[in-house]
Amino acid sequence: MLRVRGLTVAFGQQPILEGIDLDVMPGQFTSLIGPSGSGKTSILRAITALLRPERGTVTLDVPLHDVGFLFQDDALLPWRTVRQNVALGLRIRGVAAGLATEKAERWLSLLGLEGFGDRYPRQLSGGQRKRVAIAQVLVLQPKLLLMDEPFASLDAIARMRITQELLGWVEREHLTVLLVTHDLQEAISMSDVVYVLSHGPRATIRARHDVTIARPRSVLETRSDPQFAPMFERLWNELS
Amino acid sequence: MRIRRVLALVLFLAVWESAARLGWLDPFYVPAPSTVGNVMVQLFAGGQIWPHLQATLVAAFGGFGAGLVLGVGLGFAAALSPMLAELLEPVMILLNAIPRVILAPLFVIWLGIDLASKVALALMLVTVLMFFAVYNGIKDVDQRLVERIRTLGGGMQFLIRDVYVPSVTAWVMGNLKVAVGFAFTGAVVGEFVASSRGLGYLLQFAQSTYNAGLTIALIVVIMAFVLVLFALAERLERRLLRWR
Repeated sequence: MLRVRGLTVAFGQQPILEGIDLDVMPGQFTSLIGPSGSGKTSILRAITALLRPERGTVTLDVPLHDVGFLFQDDALLPWRTVRQNVALGLRIRGVAAGLATEKAERWLSLLGLEGFGDRYPRQLSGGQRKRVAIAQVLVLQPKLLLMDEPFASLDAIARMRITQELLGWVEREHLTVLLVTHDLQEAISMSDVVYVLSHGPRATIRARHDVTIARPRSVLETRSDPQFAPMFERLWNELS
Repeated sequence: MRIRRVLALVLFLAVWESAARLGWLDPFYVPAPSTVGNVMVQLFAGGQIWPHLQATLVAAFGGFGAGLVLGVGLGFAAALSPMLAELLEPVMILLNAIPRVILAPLFVIWLGIDLASKVALALMLVTVLMFFAVYNGIKDVDQRLVERIRTLGGGMQFLIRDVYVPSVTAWVMGNLKVAVGFAFTGAVVGEFVASSRGLGYLLQFAQSTYNAGLTIALIVVIMAFVLVLFALAERLERRLLRWR
């Protein structure tokens, strides 16, 4: 689905990422963990062409418009209603207004936001805004979903709930996902493959691990899986 | 809140009126509110004020409308073209730094003592304000929203419609009340400098004849008009920025 080879990203003189190799297979949930400031976000930005890498290649098996990107902050348009925000991507793709609204409504109710369509983002809680942001991306039915620490700003309870919900979606729809996070538990509970990024500058891939906990998973139960604790310890050691 | 404000105003007028009636205030300098009220009634009932009011309103609205269009247009142009920005920014910064009413005599020399010089002064005041509102509004646009549109596949058309225009609207609306005030400042000061009509002309006349009652009456009339326009601007602002 996605191949990254020899990706080097620099701001000014100093490369922050050097020679990143990364593969995301169709139907797999892949995580990339690394310390804050190691350049994790830059990898996603290079994949979506928001940033031009110094060297290296990014190969996508799908067109760029089939890639969904869930940002760290929700980045909803404050002057558009929830419904308009969710329908935005559809409208950009030329879907007729009526159909776009209909689809937006359906996704809002799937994410538990029925009746919130006429509100403005400011009138929602952080968790609700995050759901709108998820709906905005999923309504486009992306073939590859990129997520940049999507739940970092949420409180622990909302975070747990949304993580579980998203995991359910991914498993039911067999979505291909690349998640960037610094949360080891989140990475292990959700992923099939975990990449570990070293400290920056000149951060590079330090290790790659397979997580074979059976699916469907529950975020809570994966923590008592016999694989969990040893994997956590290995990742922890590789990060420090 | 509103009741308390009205009460404070009534109390203020009552104290003023009493002080005048008790002879504590010299009516030559500070006439009683009732005297000022009488002057106002005469101004309107006698019909003398209408041509002056019309002149000032036309100058203020003309300058406001033209300044809004010119300021927004130049602001957009400068934000989209770095070359134009390099030319316009220093001029606008200079015009913003000086008290722009000092240009009034020049406009009178260039455009005469009629309407044109007043419109020009109001336009100048409003244009500079709106230029910076739009120019900064576009430059300070939230880059995350720009990237959101891009990653959803949107091009310039959607960036302008869904990000730039709403963002600039917020800045313009936030400055609308100040612009209304500026437009009146421009019109009245322009009339004050040289004219044959307008509230500024009447003020100049009242001052030169040491008529404090007429001066205060005219000040109140101008304040009343500006306050009504403020209220309208606020309603528009609340409507357009209801997402805030």
